[in-house]
Amino acid sequence: MKKNEVAHYPEIMKFIKSQLQSNFLAEGIGDVSIFWKSGELTAKIKELIYEYPNECLCMDEYSKKIPPLNLDIFCVVTNGEKFEIVILEIKLRESVGLNQWSQLVGYNLVSNAKYGLLINIDAGASDRLSHILSFDVDSSKIVRKKENGSEIEHLLGFMQWNTITQNFEYSNLGQISSLSALSTFLISQFQH
Amino acid sequence: MNTDKAYILGLVIGGGIWGNAEDIFRIRLPFKQWGSYEINPKRAGEISRDVMKMVSPLFKAIYNISVSYDTSASGVWNILCEGDLDILKREMESYGLSCEGEVRKTANIDKIVSELVDDNLKRRFIAGLADTIGSTRSTHRRFSDDKQMVSFEISGFEYHFVCSLCKLLHSIGCYPDQILWNHPNFHCGNNPYDKKWKKGFKLRVYLDQYEKFGAFAFVSKAISAKENQALESVRNVGMPCADREIKMPSIACVHCDENSELLPDEIRGGHYLHNRHVCAVLGCEHAPYGEIKKLLANAEYCINPFPILIKGKLNEIEDILNTNALTKNRVYTDLNVKISEIYNQSDQDLLYGKENGNGYPINKIILAIAYLIAAQTNQLNGLRPKGRKDKIIKEYLVEYPDGVVSISIPEIMTPLVVRMNAYAALVGPNNPKVYKKLIQKCPENEYKIKIREISEEDLNEKE
Repeated sequence: MKKNEVAHYPEIMKFIKSQLQSNFLAEGIGDVSIFWKSGELTAKIKELIYEYPNECLCMDEYSKKIPPLNLDIFCVVTNGEKFEIVILEIKLRESVGLNQWSQLVGYNLVSNAKYGLLINIDAGASDRLSHILSFDVDSSKIVRKKENGSEIEHLLGFMQWNTITQNFEYSNLGQISSLSALSTFLISQFQH
Repeated sequence: MNTDKAYILGLVIGGGIWGNAEDIFRIRLPFKQWGSYEINPKRAGEISRDVMKMVSPLFKAIYNISVSYDTSASGVWNILCEGDLDILKREMESYGLSCEGEVRKTANIDKIVSELVDDNLKRRFIAGLADTIGSTRSTHRRFSDDKQMVSFEISGFEYHFVCSLCKLLHSIGCYPDQILWNHPNFHCGNNPYDKKWKKGFKLRVYLDQYEKFGAFAFVSKAISAKENQALESVRNVGMPCADREIKMPSIACVHCDENSELLPDEIRGGHYLHNRHVCAVLGCEHAPYGEIKKLLANAEYCINPFPILIKGKLNEIEDILNTNALTKNRVYTDLNVKISEIYNQSDQDLLYGKENGNGYPINKIILAIAYLIAAQTNQLNGLRPKGRKDKIIKEYLVEYPDGVVSISIPEIMTPLVVRMNAYAALVGPNNPKVYKKLIQKCPENEYKIKIREISEEDLNEKE
């Protein structure tokens, strides 16, 4: 029987976590923790703060400002002083298109998360989305000027999860072209 | 180092071939037969997909290198990597890897391994190697279909590369079940003059063990591994090398290429009783040193300074005897012996010995007879009889119950000759008391032994 997309969440989370941890370690950063949650963002962040206060209390202020948002999965990378959020929008479709991409963009804008990945299981992106992401850099790199004058950069990417090899296949679509590229972006935020 | 680069480095070390061109190199996938579009078009389609859907975007994302491929009916695939290779080359060189020729033939991976700081990075690197040189043919089984293997097949003479890879596999819980060193003692144990011993290294891990701790990124390999696992009725668990018991190995001859320049210094000149004896000489921390010591204490039972079994045309066998003064100057007694008489004896026994414990092993004489019958009855495939020895001999005896072979026995314990018409075979004697005198320890390594040449005096000397 074919599994639904939710059934693949654990293997995807496990794989990404392993790659990020290895890449942080390879750069000599050992004090970073990675947490996964699935569901409504603010409630789940509060849950994380409760479960891991030492690592996640730095998200307290953030959790009070963000509106409720239902997410497939999100990942919190934190060293206890600062944190970054990676949003994963996971699909199990013949191909993903602009609809699903827009969903990811929306989630990132609302949550202020810097990084987002659209993941399709065992399938790729539609021709239209591929074309847009190949030729329009601005569709996966969004620099937003906020009302208070601060700037926030959102970097997004698309990749494919292969259920046979339990491995990602890259598409080179978007700014996050690989998990090592995602690691590099994250590492730059945590390097002392 | 990162997880994607670890995988790519595995691929490039496993199959990378660099030529003179500045902007292109290839990764050779030695998938002979297994990956042939004529033999298995479905699998060939999967390999093509693996290259274009997995390897190509990966190279593009990490090094901005473009990838295409070619293949042939034999099943060998080449991933062609084209573009500005400077960054990749610089990184390879920073790990002490030369971007010349076939990388794995000269690769020392110690520097890379030191940067694989956790098990996941190691898995990624090993996955790159497994996707190139990790064979998942179902014939890589141990005795039966129940024990399926992943076999890392490595050409060249880079013993340290194999040792480092073995240790790396060990470190993630993939204990290699078998290791086969590219050495004449293992590839040509019967014929000391056989020059076709350079058959490469093999490092084999139980598929079950590899599936648990290792990884494939090629769909074609992952599917093939699953198919092979479906042949097993039990799950196999590997054992750390240090915990392994070593059984008394078969006797191997002293090969004329034990001093080959191709062998690394630590290995050259030595004689090896067992594959794990090599591990001990190389100083691997996982080698079963206690077991090797036991083996060395009984080394005279595992060696033969003469050919153990050489098959060929009579003139070829005579040439071999004439090249060596010790075998050339012999006086032979010729006997016609009924095949049935020999065949009905225990194949553990020795024949024509001069004293207890020496003589010519019947199991080898029986193999010689099977070869000679096969040669007479047109059942040879090269030097091998087509089919099992027992079937060949039994069928011959049904037709010729009084069939005989001619056996020429020398007056001292040098090889005897078994003959039938224009074909013959040499069978060397077991003679442990004499052979013990030939074993020399090497001062530079307590586990390394050399076997000196045998002389007529050794054979004539009384205790």
